[in-house]
Order: sequence, then C-alpha cells, then structure tokens
Amino acid sequence: MNPEPFLQLDRLIHEKGRLAIMSMLAASPELSFTELRDALEMTDGNLTTHIKALQQEGYISVAKSFQNNRPLTTCSLTTAGRKAFAEYIGLLEKIVRQNKPK
Amino acid sequence: MNPNWAEENLQTIRTLMERSAVYRRALAPIMLSAGVLGLAAGIVGLLFHLDSVHAFAVLWLFAAAIAVAGTFLIARRQALKDRENFWSPPTRRVGQALLPPLFAGMFLGLIFAFVGLANPVVLTFIWLLFYGCALHSAGFFMSRGMKLFGLIFIVLSCATLCFLVFILSQNIEISAHWLMGFFFGVLHLAYGAYLYLTEKKNLVA
Repeated sequence: MNPEPFLQLDRLIHEKGRLAIMSMLAASPELSFTELRDALEMTDGNLTTHIKALQQEGYISVAKSFQNNRPLTTCSLTTAGRKAFAEYIGLLEKIVRQNKPK
Repeated sequence: MNPNWAEENLQTIRTLMERSAVYRRALAPIMLSAGVLGLAAGIVGLLFHLDSVHAFAVLWLFAAAIAVAGTFLIARRQALKDRENFWSPPTRRVGQALLPPLFAGMFLGLIFAFVGLANPVVLTFIWLLFYGCALHSAGFFMSRGMKLFGLIFIVLSCATLCFLVFILSQNIEISAHWLMGFFFGVLHLAYGAYLYLTEKKNLVA
C-alpha cells in the first residue's frame, strides 16, 4: 500500500470534530453556532476551540451579528477552506481505491 | 489500523453533508407524487369540463393543497426513518424560500379568479411564474437541478403568456387543464423519474 496519500492528509481537517464542522459547512452556505452545536452534539467550549483553529488557518469565516436583540454567530467555509476540504476528500477517495481488492 | 477507516470517514462526511443540506432523497417521491396529482387533476378537469374560472381555480388550488400536504408527509417520513429532525435548519430555509412566492401566486390567483379578472390560461401563467420563482429560490438550498427546474417553469410561463396572446388573436378555444396537466403533471413526473434513476445510480456507485 502506498502511504503517500495518507501522509498528504491535512492534519487540521483530519481531526473528527473539525472534519464534522467542515462537512456541515461544505453543504450549506452558512450555519449558526447553535445549529452546528446542536447538529454535532458538541459543547460550546469544544465547538469554539475547533472553530478558532479552523478560523486561524483561514478555512472558515465567522460573522457576528444580532437577531431579535440576541447575538448571532454564523460560520461559513472560505474559498481556501472549500479547496482544502475538496483536496481532503480527494485523498480519502484515493486511499479507498488503493484499499479495494483488485 | 482498520483499513476501511477512509471509507468510513467518507460515509460520515456524506451523512453530515446530507444532514446539513436538504432531504435530496425525498425529492424523487415528492416530484413523482406531485406529477401523478397534476396529471390526475388535469384529467378530472377535462373529464368533468371544469372550464369556468372558479371551478378551474378551486380544482387546482385543491390539488396544490394536497400536493403540499403530501410533500410534508413524505419529507417527515424520511426524516423519521433517518432519525433526524424534520424541521431542521435546511428544511426551514427551503420552507422560507418557498413560502413568499407560493403565497403570492395563490393570493393573486384567488383574487384574479374570484373578481373575474382572469381566464384559466391567465391563471396558468400566474401560477407557473410564481411556482417557478419559488422553486428557483428554494434551489439555492437544494441540489443544483432545482434551480434549473424553477427556471424552466419561469420560461414556460412566459411562453404561456405568448400562447395566450396568440389564441386570443385567433379566437381559438383551448382548455387550460391541458397546460396545467402538462406543466404540473408531466414535468414533475419527468423530473421525479430523472431523480429516481440518478439517485439509484449514485447509491449503486
């Protein structure tokens, strides 16, 4: 088995929680903090940590606004994040093809 | 390490993306049921000669109400089957996108029909136009095909308006049930069949 694709996997996205956040955002224009938290059943602290890590890498953008006088935090994938996610999926597919018996 | 981890990861990603997007799998049965209903309403209208504007409006609004109820039931059944919330954020967004044009179309249709401002072909034009706008708006939160499907309805509504001008100038009598049956029956059936076949293919792949 060629270990090359595995070594190329983006370690930041590869973590389970961050991968879940990226997957949800890849299929939606934007999601609020609470939508992500409820869908992924994460704690506020856990989700905040993952979002900060992805934001620092430039993979997601975070916008803060107000809705009905309550603060609303929404997240969306950036172009760089979408590209990194697509590359990650491509590598996973490559690994799957390698593992398939011929 | 489990050699299937990559496949499992891909499956998890697919599930999460589906949960975040919209119930695409439910679209095929929704389109097929709407198509069957559209065809049935067209046949009923033609068979029973429901040609007055009031009878036409009542028949098609009744069919639309059944179609909306059926759509909710199918989407809800799938959500329950997948152990997901029915009123999820993507479903809510699709609902919010659909509601204003659908309401406007229904309201205008009712007013035009019961004040006597329109004939059935004009109602067909109005409903096609607003229905197309509704699908196009919802398409921003659904699979790409939905936007195209909405655009087809918008283009066809314009063609219907041209057709109306033509038949008025030529004094031709035509039952609008043919038009409604084709647009809301045949087109939905065709799109439903396409979705059914492509979804099946994707599942096999």
